[in-house]
Amino acid sequence: MSFFGFDTSLPRDKPGQSSQQQSMFQQHDPFGGLRREDAGNGETLDFEDTYDGLGLKLDESGDTFNDDTFGGEEPVTRQEVGKDFDFAGQTARVRDDLLEEQVLHHARQPMQYAQPARPKKTGYEAYKEPEYIPKLEADASIWGKLSSSKKPAEPQARPDSSARKMMSVEEVEAMMRSQTKPTPPVENVDRQSQGLRDMLGVGTPSPAVAPLEQTRPPVQILQRPQQQQQAQQQPPPQQPMPEQNTRAPQILQRQHSPQQRPQSQDFHGQPPYPTQQQQPLQMPMGAPPVQPPQGHRGPMQPVSHNRGPSYNGPPITQAQQMMNMSTDEREAYLAEEAKRAKRNHKIYLLSKNNGLMTPQDKNFITRIQLQQLLTATGGVDNEPGSEEQLAEDFYYQVYAQIRGPPRSGPGQPLNQFAQTYLFQTGSRYGFGRNRGQLRGGDNHVQRMEQQVARAVEAAKARPKNKSLVVEGSLGKIAFSNSKTPRPLLNLKRADSESRVRPPRHTTVADRKAALRDIEHLYSTLMKLEDHERHMPRPPQEDSPPDEIERHIRWRSEMQALNQQLWEATKVMEPIQPAPTQPHPFISILSHPKGKKAIPRLFRHLEEQQRLTMLTLIVIHLDSLDVVRDAYPPADNTPLPGKVKDEVELFSQAVMPPLFSYVNETTLGILVGMLGLVIDRVHVQTILRTKVGVSILTMLISRAELVSQSLPSGAIVGSSGADDDKQQWSNLYSRLFDLIEPTLPHIFPTDTNVSAADDVYVWQFLAAMGVGASPEQQQRLVLGVKERVMETVGVAKSLMAAESMGGARPGGTPGGAPNGVGERKMGEVNLFMRSIGLDVELLG
Amino acid sequence: MLFFSFFKTLVNHEVTVELKNDISIRGTLKSVDQYLNIKLDDITVVDELKYPHLSSVKNVFIRGSVVRYVHLPAAAVDTPLLEDATRREASQASAKAKQG
Repeated sequence: MSFFGFDTSLPRDKPGQSSQQQSMFQQHDPFGGLRREDAGNGETLDFEDTYDGLGLKLDESGDTFNDDTFGGEEPVTRQEVGKDFDFAGQTARVRDDLLEEQVLHHARQPMQYAQPARPKKTGYEAYKEPEYIPKLEADASIWGKLSSSKKPAEPQARPDSSARKMMSVEEVEAMMRSQTKPTPPVENVDRQSQGLRDMLGVGTPSPAVAPLEQTRPPVQILQRPQQQQQAQQQPPPQQPMPEQNTRAPQILQRQHSPQQRPQSQDFHGQPPYPTQQQQPLQMPMGAPPVQPPQGHRGPMQPVSHNRGPSYNGPPITQAQQMMNMSTDEREAYLAEEAKRAKRNHKIYLLSKNNGLMTPQDKNFITRIQLQQLLTATGGVDNEPGSEEQLAEDFYYQVYAQIRGPPRSGPGQPLNQFAQTYLFQTGSRYGFGRNRGQLRGGDNHVQRMEQQVARAVEAAKARPKNKSLVVEGSLGKIAFSNSKTPRPLLNLKRADSESRVRPPRHTTVADRKAALRDIEHLYSTLMKLEDHERHMPRPPQEDSPPDEIERHIRWRSEMQALNQQLWEATKVMEPIQPAPTQPHPFISILSHPKGKKAIPRLFRHLEEQQRLTMLTLIVIHLDSLDVVRDAYPPADNTPLPGKVKDEVELFSQAVMPPLFSYVNETTLGILVGMLGLVIDRVHVQTILRTKVGVSILTMLISRAELVSQSLPSGAIVGSSGADDDKQQWSNLYSRLFDLIEPTLPHIFPTDTNVSAADDVYVWQFLAAMGVGASPEQQQRLVLGVKERVMETVGVAKSLMAAESMGGARPGGTPGGAPNGVGERKMGEVNLFMRSIGLDVELLG
Repeated sequence: MLFFSFFKTLVNHEVTVELKNDISIRGTLKSVDQYLNIKLDDITVVDELKYPHLSSVKNVFIRGSVVRYVHLPAAAVDTPLLEDATRREASQASAKAKQG
């Protein structure tokens, strides 16, 4: 607890205040202090306790004409104020304080400080005149600041006076800043009138009363003035009176001549009446009005003096009070005082350079920096999100889009950067903007935005050449910038090189040709995707013709690209009846990146093209690498890892689009497809492979589904469907006959049953079982009976092991993962149920 | 600019930078520039016993030209995208080369 009841933590240490006072330079709410007006009403704060006795130096003898000079309570205008009094002398006395306060203001709120309330008339214009007391040297801004917000403050001041008791230093300062604006002439009147009061012997601190009123020393000190007022209303205190009466005249005499103006340092050395000097002048005029004005004027100035960064001695203000204190209190007070002095010094050191740059200066620098930022990318000169930017920084941009937080566009990073930058700066001024009292803020942000826009324009307009050839010279000068370092090698490639290949190997499906095809496919695909990204808005009924035209042009380009893409897939290459080489499309599919291209390009294909592609795949099923290479070796060794990877990739990349297509086809197409499989492909071969079985499952299950959903029987008009159904059942029988001999070998045998990856087989069997006649079902069961029993047995033992393992905490880390047995059982059941059975029936 | 573009996406991931003098440094990639200079934070040297003088170093700035390899976190690399970016880069480079 500090002596004054202030919060002694520095602004940065105060978590709760963060919204209000984030940094020295940023936030200050000039009205914030007004809410705590209660200070003036004697609750927590009074300037008197911290006032350093300036008023002692006042010449108190000239009060008579104060009203003439200053117009009573009215703010003084220049016209009213004559020059026939030593105004400057008095001002000069507080000059140090004013300077301190100025520094303080700069330290606290350089931003706001700039223009506040300059237009307001105060009594101080005269001081700005150069010929008027040149040695004054007071910064005009102080005056402007001082006068700024007093008027609006007053009405607002009283209402919530009960809100807060304790004020932090910041708050006090805030209040000072908002309130301090006492028009000094009035203050002078106060001071001078104080002399009167002193002579009357009132208004001295009355130590006897104080402790009764207040419990805590700091508060007590702060409260003094009020007590004085009370004292004024009550019989005047006895103790101080005589002393005062004797001393007041002394002071008056000492200060009588203006030439005797003391140095400001002297103030600190003048203990006797420090607290009194600013007592409002109303006393002589009448008691009632005293309190409010005191509340307003009192606290601010003195506190600021004490807080002033350049303050260089303990405030004598307290001397008398100190004498009244107990030893403990005094010690505490002194410690507090030392602490405060230390802090003040620190603040002073910190704020030494404050105000060196005006907000305008800072803005100027910021704008230059911003411009630099934008033009630094300049050589590449891409507006964010532009084609060039995407080209230069494709990976990052797209990656950021895919993986990063949701962003608005591919050009985000720079854009975002600039925006953040603007935003930050904006918030700096936004504060002023919000408060509606800082006219500069909006302007700067606006200007900044304009600046950015201009910078972008300039960057765009800049010639894109990265090298300069001076005429007549032998070399050329390459420019480089941060985005495009100067290329060390600049090879000029012969044009011919890329043109060698045209019609040659395209049909010869060697590996290289396939890879080239794939690359071609990809580049076409990327072109198409780029084009797709630039889709103009779909035209409306009322859109302007050029927009419609643009859209039409876009569509025709899209179609052309689509055609290119289709050609690039090589699907339409003629199928050789007795192929010596695999079909180009099939060789594309035999490369991993070819497989990966399928889902991407499938999206762009039309219905017919998809069907064609599917058909081509089905016809060449047994020559697909994932079928051909995946045929289980005779010695029952596991497939090589590479083949397994290919199979995996195929089922992940190629199957899903095919599957989704098949899921929407009609029975007729499926029948045709299966017919092709039966006629053109060696079914027994493909049945031994995962991909082959999966494709068959896909076709059969869909066919079953469609045929079951079709109305059976003689509905007029559905003869086509009936035909299809009839064809389907014929086809099914043929297929079944083909499949049956392979059934015992259909399961993968390279691993033991428990680890076997045979879901797809069970799925296939289930698909077959659904459409099978009872007789076929029997044959089906017979074919796979052994495996069924084996799998069920394994599953059961696994489940038993698991239930035991489950009892152990943590399960079976080294063994089969939990749930394998159940999963196996479920797989078998899938098949069993399709033929109307259940594993439970097996006992 | 492909590499620059690529490394930018690895910022704040842990990478291991193998230098041409055989020192391998693992740390969090803080930034990278167009020269592929690298800034690493919280570094550890992989073979610390061999390079005790680096044991107290917490962050480094590595000149791009002395980097031999950068070991990437596989999870942070989008391979298909990188492939596409490479294709673009290649096609651009060839277009530029033709252009002279």
